[in-house]
Amino acid sequence: MSIFTSFFQWISGIFFSKSAEIAIVGLQASGKTSFVNVIGSGQWSEDVVPTVGFIFRKVRKGNVTLKIWDVAGQPKFRSMWERYCHGVDAIVFIVDSADAEKFNTARFELHQLLSQSALGGVPLLVLGNKNDLDGHVPVKDLIRDLQLDKIMDRPVSCYSVSPFALSLLRSLDFSVFHEKPT
Amino acid sequence: MASFAMAFYKKEDESGLSSYYNNKTTILQEARVFNESPISPRKCRALLTRIVYLLYVGETFSTQEATTLFFGATKLFQHKDAALRQAVYLTIKELATTAENVMMLTSSIQKDMQPNSEVIYRPNAIRALCHIIDPSMAQGVERFFKAAIVDRNPSISSASLISAYHLFPNAKDVVKRWVNEAQEAVNVKSGGYFGSSVTSGGFFGGGSQNAAQTVPSSSNITQYHALGLLYLIRQQDRMAVTKMIQQLGGGKSGSGTTLKNAMALCMLIRYAAKVIEEDPNVQRQMVELLEGWLRHKSDMVNFEAARVICEMKNVTSAQLTKSIAVLQLFLSSPKPVLKFAATRTLAALALTHPSSVAACNVDLENLITDPNRSVATYAITTLLKTGNEASVDRLIKQITGFMSEISDEFKVIIVDAIRSLCLKFPAKHAAMLTFLSGVLRDEGGYDFKRAVVEAIFDMIKFISECKEQALSHLCEFIEDCEFTKLSVRILHLLGIEGPKASQPAKYIRFIYNRVVLENAPVRAAAVASLAKFGLNSSDDTLNQSVSVLLNRCLDDVDDEVRDRAAMYLKVFKKQSLVEPYVKEDSVLSLAALESKLVAYVKDPSASTQAFDVSSIPKISRAQAAAEAARPSSLDTIGVPAAKTTVDGPPPPTAAETQSAYAEQLAAVPSFASYGSVLNSSAKPTQLSESETEYQVSCVKHMFTEHVVFQFNVSNTLPDTVLEQVTVAMSSEEGSGLTQDFILPIPSLTAANSPGIVYVSFTRDEPDDYVTATFPCTLQFVSKEMDPSTGEPEEEGYEDEYQLEEVEVSAGGDYIVPSYASFGAEWDRMKGGPSVTETFGLGASVDGLKAACDSIIEVLNMEPLGGTENPSSTSVHTLQLSGLVTGGGGKVLVRCRMTFSQGVGVTLELGVRAEKQDVCQLVVNAVGG
Repeated sequence: MSIFTSFFQWISGIFFSKSAEIAIVGLQASGKTSFVNVIGSGQWSEDVVPTVGFIFRKVRKGNVTLKIWDVAGQPKFRSMWERYCHGVDAIVFIVDSADAEKFNTARFELHQLLSQSALGGVPLLVLGNKNDLDGHVPVKDLIRDLQLDKIMDRPVSCYSVSPFALSLLRSLDFSVFHEKPT
Repeated sequence: MASFAMAFYKKEDESGLSSYYNNKTTILQEARVFNESPISPRKCRALLTRIVYLLYVGETFSTQEATTLFFGATKLFQHKDAALRQAVYLTIKELATTAENVMMLTSSIQKDMQPNSEVIYRPNAIRALCHIIDPSMAQGVERFFKAAIVDRNPSISSASLISAYHLFPNAKDVVKRWVNEAQEAVNVKSGGYFGSSVTSGGFFGGGSQNAAQTVPSSSNITQYHALGLLYLIRQQDRMAVTKMIQQLGGGKSGSGTTLKNAMALCMLIRYAAKVIEEDPNVQRQMVELLEGWLRHKSDMVNFEAARVICEMKNVTSAQLTKSIAVLQLFLSSPKPVLKFAATRTLAALALTHPSSVAACNVDLENLITDPNRSVATYAITTLLKTGNEASVDRLIKQITGFMSEISDEFKVIIVDAIRSLCLKFPAKHAAMLTFLSGVLRDEGGYDFKRAVVEAIFDMIKFISECKEQALSHLCEFIEDCEFTKLSVRILHLLGIEGPKASQPAKYIRFIYNRVVLENAPVRAAAVASLAKFGLNSSDDTLNQSVSVLLNRCLDDVDDEVRDRAAMYLKVFKKQSLVEPYVKEDSVLSLAALESKLVAYVKDPSASTQAFDVSSIPKISRAQAAAEAARPSSLDTIGVPAAKTTVDGPPPPTAAETQSAYAEQLAAVPSFASYGSVLNSSAKPTQLSESETEYQVSCVKHMFTEHVVFQFNVSNTLPDTVLEQVTVAMSSEEGSGLTQDFILPIPSLTAANSPGIVYVSFTRDEPDDYVTATFPCTLQFVSKEMDPSTGEPEEEGYEDEYQLEEVEVSAGGDYIVPSYASFGAEWDRMKGGPSVTETFGLGASVDGLKAACDSIIEVLNMEPLGGTENPSSTSVHTLQLSGLVTGGGGKVLVRCRMTFSQGVGVTLELGVRAEKQDVCQLVVNAVGG
């Protein structure tokens, strides 16, 4: 089963609907725009410039339509994540799982975002990105480091992914680590 | 503009429905539709339109409201409807100035700008970009802009040129690199635009997603935009601008030009005008180009060229002929715009070249009856200036015919023209005065009435024959005048001119009527005016009746009116008061009075004693009038107001400089205990040559017990920083001044020059007027700056620099000029301290004029009654008046001089002052 099949299943599993709006947030250089490019067009590009502000994309896969708000992750934009998470069906938080030094900042920003009362109950998907790199952290540690187990007010899922590897090995099956937080 | 918009909005407001729909609160409420899902493009577009409408009529949104709306609008990027996206871009451009974090949109807009996105809103995206992008990111879009500027589609090219134009102030270096592309956009042949990219119906289709680009444009407007950008990039470089004009101008006949757009050509003509103004050397070449454009096929270009030639400085009659011929053609054009433009230009030109404009007189006469009253007004004012004495009567008759049909603004223009005409043809004053008094009775606003009243004032001043008649017209006017300001001015004038008239009594009735009928300011003015009649007349019965009238004013309800009446009655009883209170022809220098009052109010210890008015220098009324300096109306009459005058504010007077220094000194804490400044040098003394590396000038400030020397030091070397800059002043023992401290400049570069070094001295005997001379040396540590980093090197070397000597002397440091009426004061001070001494000025002083000049300079006193210009070559008396700072009181000097060849000037110096030391100070200053 490919990661994307499972990804879409996860989405439709939650809503039983054919269209969904999601906001993708995360620290800068965690791979948000690359991730969106790969789900959107299947293309992997080396030179992705840092996003300034946000990019909106609409992706159609089968009978599911995804509206994606890809929001920039540089510090000056983080205060504006909330504006684009407002009213979405799910928030996708992307972490660079090979850069353990940034986990503290990521955890702070994530919990800061989720503490906004307007976003209560919106499902959260955390993706540990770049698992093709050496030294990446497994999902278990990610859950611990980001304190995902403390989030009680909404459904939370956490996966480890690599859009880069996927674009190379499209035909191959992927092993997906899936842990339900307690 | 904004007020006009508001007025427009107010009017709209009256219809209740529109005010409900276009109300800010409603719109902020309805902004929820931006977050709805799915989005309704129709609703959102309607709401965006209303936001933009509100902004256009002058409504303002707070930062928070604007930010909310802005981010709401960004949500609409999820919908691909092209018309909606265009509306979003229009709204974003308007909100970008008030909303926060607008750069949030950068990436989204860039996506829409991509060359491969064949969407109709690509130009809109490009135009919006410059409003939201952070200037530091301009570099990132450089490649894109370079391509878009030379795009074959004119709307994309125009949009990117305009966007670049707006980016320029914030990202100069980046935009400068696009100059080649802009040049290409100017030069591109119009044929190139009609390529394959033209698909019809895209514009009107609106909704269709990929309908590419728009209706083709044949206006070549891109050239106009490109020219604007080119000029903006090159404007600092006059040579480059001149070259650009010559290249684009296309040779002598103007036929070779690549510019097809008329507006671009007009712009080029304006740039040419600017070049001519800045550099007279190119005038001849430029005029040749301009004359070529006089024959261009577009009216707009012809007019622009003609106007520029007419407005050139030092234009000769020969150069004017062709452009006047063009304007003359326009005069008989059926288009009102052309007629208006031509008459307006000719009206301005008639001021300086009436004889050249006279060629158009016949055509202008025809325009007097033009249905467009603005054209008619300009035609008449032009004719008034070019016409001869014989035509005046006829013209005035014609003007009277339609005065009631034109707006106040044009009435003012006509009145001003009449005013200058009065002075040109004084013989015609009767007709003109009748006209002015006639229009004075018409309906009109303040500006119009003021223009008429000022015109009559001028007639009174310059044409003595009409004085009495004009005064009676004014009397009649104030009988029914709704403008307090004008009534007060007229009453004041009556007070000055009335008593000199043959029958002063006849004005009194008019003036006293004001006392009975008017509001308080006018009553007060009337009382002052009445009193002047009584006091200036030798007729006892008149005096009697005036004092009876003034007695009645003592019961007035207003304090000011009663006070004035009481004061003048007192003056009536005591004739010795007449001189200082009524006939005094000097006033206090207001700037000096203000700064002294400010110092008095700020100093808490001063409140125990009364404010000393006698320490304020006086100036004559003529000087006061010159300082108030409203530009003489005679020079500016009738010139269309839009014309810029470049001559800036008048230079500050000595008294204003003083107040500026006082503020500067008050900012230095070390001088806080010194009290207020008694006097500062009127202008800095240069202590170094003007071309040296370090330039130093000195200003001296006198305090009661101290002297502060202010050295303004400039470092002109860009790569050197001076540290610990001080001025060493070697004072002699027993000079009466003891040095307290020096406030050095820690670091001085070319960028932060000039800096100020203060050196403070104590006056050992504050009552003595010590004079001294100090040799000065500038001392500093010099360090080279690394040109690449701008960091100064670690170790510098000490250096010093010899300056010229600084003097503390009588003139300029202790004595300031002050106006007085010499004869009376000289007699009054007869009993006080005085000194008379005789000097031979030696052979070096050549003539009486030179002697006067040097005495005035040394003593720094005010020459009175024109005595600074000797009328005889052998004998002369120079009268001087001054004020000694620090409570020294007045000082008067009478210099009787004789001059004979061989002996030189012999001077008998008579000084009268309030203190003996002062006399001695003056004598020593001249003798030493």
